[in-house]
Amino acid sequence: MAEGTGRGESLSIWFFVGMITLLYGLVLTPYGAWQWLTHHPPANELLLPWLIHLHPTFWWGLLLLTFGAFYTTKYRPGTN
Amino acid sequence: MHPLAALAVVSTGQLTSLSGIDILILVLYFAVVVFIGFYVKGTTNTSEEFFLAGREMSAWIAGLSFVSANLGSLELMGWAGSAYQYGILAMHWYWIGAIPAMLFLGIVMMPFYYISKTHSVPGYLQLRFGEGARGLAAVSFGLMTILMSGVNMYAMAVVMQTVLGWNMTFSIWVGAATVALYVMLGGLRSAIINEVLQFILIWAGAALIPILGLIEAGGWDKLKANIAVNVGNSSYTHMWSTLGHFKDNPMGINWVGIVFGLGAIISFGYWTTDFLVVQRVLSANNLRSAKLAPVIGAAFKMAVPLIVILPGLICLGLMQNGHPMFHLVPAEVAKGNPLLHSYDQVLPLMLIRYCGPGLLGLGITALVAGFMSGMAGNVSAFSTVWTYDIYGAYLNKKANDKHYVLMGRVSTVVGMLISIGTAYLVMNAASIMDYVQALFSFFIAPLFGTVILGMLWKRATKWGGFYGLLAGTLSSIGMFLYTSTGTAAHKAHALSVVALSADAQPMAENMFRALWSWLICVAVTVIVSYMTTPKTDAELNGLVYGATIIPHDGSVGLLQKPIFWAGVVAAVFVGLNILFF
Repeated sequence: MAEGTGRGESLSIWFFVGMITLLYGLVLTPYGAWQWLTHHPPANELLLPWLIHLHPTFWWGLLLLTFGAFYTTKYRPGTN
Repeated sequence: MHPLAALAVVSTGQLTSLSGIDILILVLYFAVVVFIGFYVKGTTNTSEEFFLAGREMSAWIAGLSFVSANLGSLELMGWAGSAYQYGILAMHWYWIGAIPAMLFLGIVMMPFYYISKTHSVPGYLQLRFGEGARGLAAVSFGLMTILMSGVNMYAMAVVMQTVLGWNMTFSIWVGAATVALYVMLGGLRSAIINEVLQFILIWAGAALIPILGLIEAGGWDKLKANIAVNVGNSSYTHMWSTLGHFKDNPMGINWVGIVFGLGAIISFGYWTTDFLVVQRVLSANNLRSAKLAPVIGAAFKMAVPLIVILPGLICLGLMQNGHPMFHLVPAEVAKGNPLLHSYDQVLPLMLIRYCGPGLLGLGITALVAGFMSGMAGNVSAFSTVWTYDIYGAYLNKKANDKHYVLMGRVSTVVGMLISIGTAYLVMNAASIMDYVQALFSFFIAPLFGTVILGMLWKRATKWGGFYGLLAGTLSSIGMFLYTSTGTAAHKAHALSVVALSADAQPMAENMFRALWSWLICVAVTVIVSYMTTPKTDAELNGLVYGATIIPHDGSVGLLQKPIFWAGVVAAVFVGLNILFF
């Protein structure tokens, strides 16, 4: 039984959690990489120069992507 | 140029605007939550499935949902603003004002709620004290829940207008329609799944603020030093050492108000008897999960200050050329002046400061998720209490199960429409908001008195429970009227009478009013109970400590025992309070 979504359903709550964080990771990581590689920091980072070198969009996107990929894979339909 | 001024679109009063990638992130969120509603509709056919999610949720799901339903938009932005205004004292509302009560719910009270097979807190009162107490609790809860939902809706629309320039009608209707759709389709199951999702997204969207804020400040010790310089003393970063007297801390409260008013009464009242949160735990799949869910919720609740309180403190500690960078003011002062920002705008201001396109969309999604989880909590609890404890109990007792499910779906939509009406009412008369929030607090403390005596004291009788609840509620309303009407001199005097000190501030009044109304409820319940005939032990089986054999929860080994994990959480709670003493 898929956890939380009812008897007979195949997608569990944790799959939804994984899916949405994976989607966000897939949006943010390439965008953050583009900012990093093309030296296009956003307006707020121009005003806070210490922030430019941290590349928060890329790293946060990568974290969401990793978290999402793990949960989507672990709880994909047919595994529980 | 001031960094914030550069980002603010001053001409329209809004702080920022969303880019394409931000809108994509927001649209993805709305698409997923609506999809979930349609997805679980097929498994939401009986009343047990619609109102209690089929009682098949694991401890983790029920626990995360339990804490997420409380993490509404007012909670997120209001307490971040309070942290800026009062400093680390605001943390008490997350620790002593939540953790002991959540653990008590899990270990002591949940067995009675769970094995009595009640569908709601008013339902438990009906089993224990009869129809009078149930009717009073159900009507007051239903009314207040739906009004609070409207106030939340209005508050969120104000934020969206201030931060993004969104039309308030647009924010109210899009948010309300989305929540109404997924709760109407999937009932509590849909609400719970979305709450778990929203809890994760709130963290995903807001956790960067404290991380980047601490990096900018140079660490926690440097932040504390900066705050001390900005406010002129060190009282804003100590949780207990300034609570000896009302005058020693920015909140104008003392330790008695925090420990007994907040920690023992308001907190226990909210976390153990407010059906909005208790309903999530009632959906657990067995007794062990029901006991463990509030413990898991407590562990996560302890961490919430990282994304709520810390941003407020970071804002308070930011400096520019040796002076405070931000000068936030009360909402009534900021109103109409786009150059001023209110306390409640701390979280959006910090979000804009640290998050560029993409991350900003994620942060706005976190705020919207908080709004929707709070709203779904209100409306799903309302539809349950309306259908079971008002409609099914008094208006139509003999309908079939299918009819009650239909009534649940209809009351979800009607409840949402009433909430929208309340939001517009508040929009036209903002002072109503304060009264609605005060009204909600009238019922919580006395209700806790009634429920706790009902569970732990066999001698409490039907009439004792009813008159105790009535007396506690009326006394709370009476104290509120006493302290909020008349001349300024009268109000100040009334406050000093209720809070026992001429130095007390309004926050202390809330704590002491709760304490007095609880004591009055308990005293009246005890006196009336001794004057009336109690039920027999057989009648109280499954409802009261001492008349009930509580079944084993099925845990095997130490690591499966809820009491063990409650001990771990309690130890961390004590350690954190000592650390920030």
